[in-house]
Amino acid sequence: MIAPSVPQPSHVAGFRTRLVIAMMLVISSVTLLALYFTQRQLAQNVAEALDREFQGELDALHHAQDVRRAALVERCRALVRKPRIHAALEDDALDLLYLSAEDELRDVMVPESGNGAGRASPQRALQAEFYRFLDRKGRVISPSRPRSVGLLEPTADSRLALPGLVDRPQIGYLARPGAAGGPSLVYELIAMPINSMESGETIAMLVLGFKPFELREREASGMESGIWVDGRVHGIDLPPNDAAMLARHLAAGGENRITLGGAPHWLLTKRLNPESQYTPAFEVCVYPLAGLVKRQRQLRWQVLGAGGLLLLVGLAGSQVLAGRLSRPVEKLAVDSKADRAERQKVEAALEMTSAELQRSARFSADASHQLKTPVTVLRAGLEEMLARENLTPEECHEISALIHQTFRLSTLIEDLLLLSRLDAGRLKLQVCPVNFTQLIEASLDDLSAVPDEVDIAVETDFPSDLLVFGEKRYTSIILQNLLENARKYNRPGGRIRVSARVEENRVKVVIANTGPAIPANARGHIFERFHRGAVGENVPGYGLGLNLARELARLHRGELSLTRSDLEWTEFELTLPWAEKKTPA
Amino acid sequence: MNTLPDVLFVFHSGRRAARGGRGPGRPRLPRGRLLLFIVAVGAGYPALPVVAASIEGRVTLPKTRSTPVVNQRYEIVSKAGALSTNPPVAIVYLEGTFPKPASLPVAQIRQKDLTFVPSLLPVQLGSRVEFPNLDESYHNIFSFSPPKRFDLGRYRADERPIPSQLFDAPGLVTLRCDIHEHMRALILVVDTPHFALTSATGEFRLTGLPEGRYVLKAWIDSRTTLERPVELKADGVVRLDFP
Repeated sequence: MIAPSVPQPSHVAGFRTRLVIAMMLVISSVTLLALYFTQRQLAQNVAEALDREFQGELDALHHAQDVRRAALVERCRALVRKPRIHAALEDDALDLLYLSAEDELRDVMVPESGNGAGRASPQRALQAEFYRFLDRKGRVISPSRPRSVGLLEPTADSRLALPGLVDRPQIGYLARPGAAGGPSLVYELIAMPINSMESGETIAMLVLGFKPFELREREASGMESGIWVDGRVHGIDLPPNDAAMLARHLAAGGENRITLGGAPHWLLTKRLNPESQYTPAFEVCVYPLAGLVKRQRQLRWQVLGAGGLLLLVGLAGSQVLAGRLSRPVEKLAVDSKADRAERQKVEAALEMTSAELQRSARFSADASHQLKTPVTVLRAGLEEMLARENLTPEECHEISALIHQTFRLSTLIEDLLLLSRLDAGRLKLQVCPVNFTQLIEASLDDLSAVPDEVDIAVETDFPSDLLVFGEKRYTSIILQNLLENARKYNRPGGRIRVSARVEENRVKVVIANTGPAIPANARGHIFERFHRGAVGENVPGYGLGLNLARELARLHRGELSLTRSDLEWTEFELTLPWAEKKTPA
Repeated sequence: MNTLPDVLFVFHSGRRAARGGRGPGRPRLPRGRLLLFIVAVGAGYPALPVVAASIEGRVTLPKTRSTPVVNQRYEIVSKAGALSTNPPVAIVYLEGTFPKPASLPVAQIRQKDLTFVPSLLPVQLGSRVEFPNLDESYHNIFSFSPPKRFDLGRYRADERPIPSQLFDAPGLVTLRCDIHEHMRALILVVDTPHFALTSATGEFRLTGLPEGRYVLKAWIDSRTTLERPVELKADGVVRLDFP
């Protein structure tokens, strides 16, 4: 474990930076997206709210207009039922028409004298400024006393006429120049059909002119409404340029947005007299959007400010979070580095050990090889000497003993060579099924061939044709070594018992012999190299046999162990992989 | 003269109830008053001493129009601007030069149940017609017709003397009420003492006529007046049908 104060490697610091950048990117993009949508939604909401407000005002205006118009129409309907008017029209008394009407319409008309005084009175909205009758062809019937029916200039007079009589009320709008150069005035015309009481046919029409409904006071929102008739807009205070532009815009049927006085405005038009025989007239509502634009701009700044703040908080948070997240990773990186160093060290040591081992094994092998030749030369020399004829019997005996020693030396060298190859791991088995029964029998034959002064009985107990997996040469060495041991450490007149059986896919061979028991403290060491039992210094050997046998058994994926050694009986158990005998097909 | 169907009566009763008493509320007069009235008018004149001629005949009246229910309220109806009664009756009168009587009887058109009774009245030129108001509400009779323009103003049943007018020009006068726009009556002012209303089937009979050559006219509506020359002999009865 490395202390945190140790400077971090560059790639560890890079991880933290990358994490921070990634988090900042994610946070920034999420915040920007959220800001964009929020701003859009808010702008839309504001526009909708304004639209509602506008529509609300407009609806209120329309409602008032509708109510007023309905009242006016009803009033006119009552007028055209007046018997005197009917009598004048039906009974061929047109000279009495306006006279009678003057009487009947006295309440409806704006008083002649009160032109200035009653201007602001609420009744005036429902009072007519002028009226005329239309004859059967829709032409204006000239009044006998024009003052009493509301003076109109001749052109306006003719414009009250209709192409023909209609049996439904007709709404029209008449623009007249204002008094004394003032703004032009638009009058709302209601032409009521006068139907015969008896037949129901329309015999004339009564046209009344009313002052159009006006907004009492300018709305807080700044909405203005006017009337567009005969190519001109009346009722909206506009500079001449804007007025002309508005008229052009309306004539072209443009969109509902228009720039007036440099500010955007919302424009709404509505036909005021649908299905009327009079000139089409439109209500024009102009709604300044300056408030909307201002509110949207304000909102945008607010949203931007809030978003910036949010972004800052998010970035700071990402810093903290990135630090926290990267700490375990950094720790892991540092730890793994320490671990790697440790491992490399161990690996180096292991490699060194392995090389050492290899070297020592090679040395043993080389040494054994080098030793074999002089021993052979020595034996050849001794045998040559023995062949001489001038030797005394003692000399002969001596030389024979020496030759015998060279054999032992050869065996020892062979064993060492084998062991060193085992140690170096260079011994490769060529495994095939080996007839183990034959092998045991051959080894026992060899054993009996050895000249021996002690008389040892051999007992066997194994099935015929027992097969094991192994290499015949080395399996044989294991058996020879074990039997050799059993013989060497036996007592005179003792027994050797060899038994074998198959158990769990393994061949289990038990080689037992009579003789002194192996001391308990020595049992753990009997398989060690160059270990020799304490018993009998006169017993030949170098303490390699058991070791070699066990190594070879293990090489065969088998095992060799001491299973019993007490009183006069010692047992070794050898297991080897069993090769199931194949029945010839 | 009352030809309103019962259905309409029920309708108006309902309307009256809704309006709180305004409108024709009284039970209608029994039918058959027209005939009584004809007899009354025909018999109202004193017979001239030496004349014994008479004319009988029948005017083919236009068919009774089945007008919409709302229009059946009006007993004076117009078709293409021509006024007539419904059901139709005609006025038959003899044109000629007759001596003026010293005084003429006063005729009456009553205002009863928001209608004029009778709704068609022939009078001799120079006659006076009284217009008693038998309703509880005001009436205001006026006429814009060229033969006689007048306006009696608003008055009630207790107005005395009974407002009247002298009809001194021949022709057709349409009576209206300024308050009740549906009310109509026609007065035909003729310059002859010999005139009569036909029955509902068009039968007429003029009696006590002087002998001589005359023109017999039949007024059918405000635009249709048929005429036939006729020669009358003493004690003779002439049969004449229109057309």
